Amino acid sequence: MITPVGLSPMRTRMGELSDAESHLYHTVARLAQRGPFVEVLAEAGTGLSVRYDGHTTSFQTPPRIRGAVFRAWTGTGWTEVSVSGLDASSLRFAEGAIERALTHRPPHDNPPGVSSTARLEKVTPTPRPIEDGAEEEMVKMARDVFSWTTEVPDIHETDVQVSWRRDERLYLNSAAARCFQGICRVRGAVMAVATENGRAESDRFIHGGVGGQEVLDALTQENARKTAESARELLQAKAPPAGKLTVLLAPSVTGYFAHESFGHGAEADQFVRNRSYLQPKLGQVLGPEILTIVDNGAYTGAWSEIYCDDEGHPAQRTVLVDHGRFTGALHDRDTAAALGAEPTGNTRRSDYLSRAYVRMTNTYVEPGESSFDELVKEARNGVLLESGAAGIEDPQGGQIQIKARKGHLIENGKVTDLVSSMALSGQVLEFLTAIRGVSGKEDFALDTGSCGKGRSDFLPNSAGGPYLLSTALVGRA
Amino acid sequence: MSPSRLGDAVAFRVGEQLAGKEPWEVFGERIRHYEIHLSGDKVEMTRGPITLEGYGIRVFRGRERETGVGYQASNDLSAEGVATALADAERAAAHAVFPTTRLELPTGRGATGGIVEVLDRGLWEYPMDTLESYVAALRAAFEGRKEFAISFGSVRATLSNTSICNSSGLRTGYGHTTLDLEFAVKAFGGPEGPPPGEYWLNDSNRRSLPAELSVRVGRWCRYAEDVRRGRPPPTGEVAVVLPPQVLAGILPVVFGGRFTGSAQQRKMAPEPGMKLGSELATVFDDGRIPWAPMSSPVDDEGVPQRRRTLLDRGVVSEILYDTLYANAFDTRPTGNGFRGLSSGFRTWYRFLHPPAVSPSSIVVAPGDGGTDVELVEAAHEGIWIQQIGWSAPDPLTGAFGGEIRLGYRIRDGKLAESVRGGTVGGIALASEGSSSLFSRLEAVGSHPAFSELVYSPPILVRSLTVGGEQ
Repeated sequence: MITPVGLSPMRTRMGELSDAESHLYHTVARLAQRGPFVEVLAEAGTGLSVRYDGHTTSFQTPPRIRGAVFRAWTGTGWTEVSVSGLDASSLRFAEGAIERALTHRPPHDNPPGVSSTARLEKVTPTPRPIEDGAEEEMVKMARDVFSWTTEVPDIHETDVQVSWRRDERLYLNSAAARCFQGICRVRGAVMAVATENGRAESDRFIHGGVGGQEVLDALTQENARKTAESARELLQAKAPPAGKLTVLLAPSVTGYFAHESFGHGAEADQFVRNRSYLQPKLGQVLGPEILTIVDNGAYTGAWSEIYCDDEGHPAQRTVLVDHGRFTGALHDRDTAAALGAEPTGNTRRSDYLSRAYVRMTNTYVEPGESSFDELVKEARNGVLLESGAAGIEDPQGGQIQIKARKGHLIENGKVTDLVSSMALSGQVLEFLTAIRGVSGKEDFALDTGSCGKGRSDFLPNSAGGPYLLSTALVGRA
Repeated sequence: MSPSRLGDAVAFRVGEQLAGKEPWEVFGERIRHYEIHLSGDKVEMTRGPITLEGYGIRVFRGRERETGVGYQASNDLSAEGVATALADAERAAAHAVFPTTRLELPTGRGATGGIVEVLDRGLWEYPMDTLESYVAALRAAFEGRKEFAISFGSVRATLSNTSICNSSGLRTGYGHTTLDLEFAVKAFGGPEGPPPGEYWLNDSNRRSLPAELSVRVGRWCRYAEDVRRGRPPPTGEVAVVLPPQVLAGILPVVFGGRFTGSAQQRKMAPEPGMKLGSELATVFDDGRIPWAPMSSPVDDEGVPQRRRTLLDRGVVSEILYDTLYANAFDTRPTGNGFRGLSSGFRTWYRFLHPPAVSPSSIVVAPGDGGTDVELVEAAHEGIWIQQIGWSAPDPLTGAFGGEIRLGYRIRDGKLAESVRGGTVGGIALASEGSSSLFSRLEAVGSHPAFSELVYSPPILVRSLTVGGEQ
C-alpha cells in the first residue's frame, strides 16, 4: 500500500479550484489508506464567447460547473466516480462510493504502469492576458470582422465567433503527484457564405492557440476578405474530378492525414484491444525517408498544448514516424505497462464526467525540403486539396477519409481551375508508399480543431504540416 | 428519484428565487448516468453512477428595437449560486442582441403534449442491473461466433428528470431514459484472405431491448465480414440506394440548416410553396414517435411537440421555430427548441446549452417502392450504400459525401459483392432545376425503420458521383 508521503497542499495561483485543494488532498489521503492507488482530477473553467452574424449577437460565458473524478485501483481494474461539485458533501459522496468499491473487492496488487510523482504548476504565460481585454472590445472585433467580410460582393451570410476559455485542472494522487495547469485557449473564426442563383458556397478561416489576446491578431482584414473572396469564387468552381488521382494536400489536409492515419492508429489502447492495423508494423519502414510524423503536447502556443496529461505525466514530443520508419505509439500508464513502454503524456479526459483514454494532442507532418512549385511540377496532373473540413479514422481497417472544402486542378505541372468540395479515401499504407514529396517549413501550419474517441469525448486537438504529394481515391463530397 | 415527482424539480427550485426578474426561463435536469465499456469479450470498465444536477437560466431584456438574451448554466443550487448564475445571465443579456421586441413565452395552458413513451421503467428503477443484463445478452449473442468480437464499444444509460418553468406560468417536466450503443464489430477472418474488418454502429433508444440483440448481432457480424472483403467500386455516376443508417448522417443536419427560423432570418430558408424535390419526397418533423430518442411531450422550452410537414410531395410546407424565432416572425413556436444538439448528435446532459431551433426526428414518408429487394431490382445496376464513414453534411450548401465504409454492388437487379473504399457524395437539397438527392429520387421504399434521429425507408437515387478505382 502506498501512502501519500510528501503529498501536501501548495501555495497556488489557482483561481476556480483554490478553495477545494485542501478537501481534495485530504480525501485522496484518506482513500489511500484503503487501497494501493487513488487519484483525483478536479476541473473548472472560465471564459467568454461572442458570436455575431449581422442579425444576432450572442454573448456567453462557460457554465459555472466544477467537479472532480476520482479513480482507484481495485486490484483487478479501475473504479471511478464523478461528482459535480467540490463542496464537502460532494466529496464525501465520492469518497463513500470509492470506499464501497474497495471494500467490495479488497485490492492486493498495485496498478499497472508508472504512477506519476510529478510536481508541476503552470498557467498559460502571455504578455497580453485575454481576461484583461474588455468585453466590448470582443464584440467590436466580431463586428469589424463581419463588416470586412460582407464588403465582398455576393456574400450573403457571415458568422464571426471570438472566444476564449481558461480550463483549470488539478491532479493529485497517492504517489504524491500534484499537477495544476491553467490553460487559456483563444480562438477566432469567420465563416462566409456566398450565394448566386440558388447555389450556396462557403469557406472559413479559423485561428486558435494557447495564449492571450495576441492569438486574435490573426483576425485581420486581409484574412476576412480572403475568406469571403474564396467563398465567392467557389460559386464558379467546377465539380471535382473523381477516381484514383495524384493528390497534393494543403497543410490543413496534411494535418487530417497525420491525425486520422497515424494519430488514431498509434493510440496504444487500440494496440491492447488488438484493433490497430499499425501494431504489427511497429519498427518497420512504411513510408519514404522524407516522412516524419510527430505528436507533440508540449508544442508552445499550439491549440492542443497541455502541460501534463490527466494521469499527471508531463506533455512531450513523441515521434510516431521517423524518416519513414514507424517508431512509436501514444501511451497511458496501462498501455505502457502492457506493451513495455513509457507513458507519453497522452492520457486525456474530455472533462471530469468522461473517462480517460489515450488521445492525441498536436499531431503533424514535419516539414520536408521541396518547394510548393516543385511539388506541383512533380504532380504534373492531379488535384490540390485545400481547406480541410473533416476526417475520420479506421484504426482496424487502415483506411482514411478526409473532406476538403475546395481545391484546384493540377494540369501539366500547373495549378489551374478551382474545384468544389471533395472527399479523399484510400488505404493508408498505400498512400504512404505513394508519397513523393513534402514541402518546407515555410508552408508549415497547424489547424485548430477538436476530436472525439468514437462519437463522444471531444477534446481540443490540432493537426497540420506542410504540402504533401501522394496518390488517393477522390470524389465529390 | 421518481420520474413523476416534480414538486422539488430543479427548475422549480431555481424559479422560486427569480421573483422580480421577469421575463425568465429555467431549464433543470437531475441526471444519473451509467456506462459499461467493452473490449473483446471483456468488460473494460464500468462507470457510474455519474450524477449531475444543474440548471440554465435564460433572461430576456427588452430594449427599444431588440431583446437582449442572456444564459448561464450552473450546478450550484444554493441561493448564492442562483444569484451568481442570474448575474452572469444579466451581464450576457446586456451585450447580446436578438432582433425582436415581441416576447411571448409558452404558458403551458391549452393543448398539452400528452403522453409520449420515453421512459423505460426497468431501466429507471434498476439502471445498472438493466445495463448489465443488456451487456450479458450482447455477449451471449456473440457466443459461438468465433470469427467475430466487439473490438471497442460501450453501452450507456442516462436517466433524467427534466423540468422547465418560466415567468409566464409554465411549470412542466417529465422523466426519460436513453440507452446508447456505440460499437465496432470485428471480423477476424482466417489466416488466408483479407485482413480483419470492422463494422461501426451507433444506436440510441429510449428503452432497453435485449431480446432483439441476437438477430441484430447476426446482421452486424455479416456486415463486418463484408467490410473485410469489400473492394473500392469503379468511378462513375451510378444509381444508389441509401438506407436509413446513411440518411441519419445527412438529413438532420441539412433540414436543420434550412428549414428553421434561424435560416429564415438569414434568408437561407426556402419559401413555403417552393419545389425542392420530386413528388416522391414527403418529409416530416415528428417529436412524438414512441421511444424515439428525440421524442418528448414538450421541447426544451416547454412547448408541446407535434408532427410538422417539411416537404409535401417535393414542395416546401412548414418551417420550424423555437420561441425566439417564433417571436421574431410573429408566429407560434412549433416545439423545436432543443439543447445540446450538434451535427445530429445529442449530449446526455442538456442544461449546459441554451436552446436553439432544430428538427426533432426526421421522418421520410414511405413510398410504393416496396421491399429492399424490390428497390434493388428497380435500381438494376448501381450500389447499395450501407455505411458512409462520415458524410460531413454542410448545413448551408447541402453538400455531403465521404468514404464508403460498406456497400454492395447492384448487378442485374440483385445485391452482389461488397464495396469498401472510394467516395460517394452530392447535394442533399437544392432549388428546382438543380441536381440533388431529393430531386433525383427514383423510388422510396415502403418499410421505414429508425436509425438515430431519422425514421425512413431506404430511398433509390437516380445517380450520385462515386469516386473509385478506375
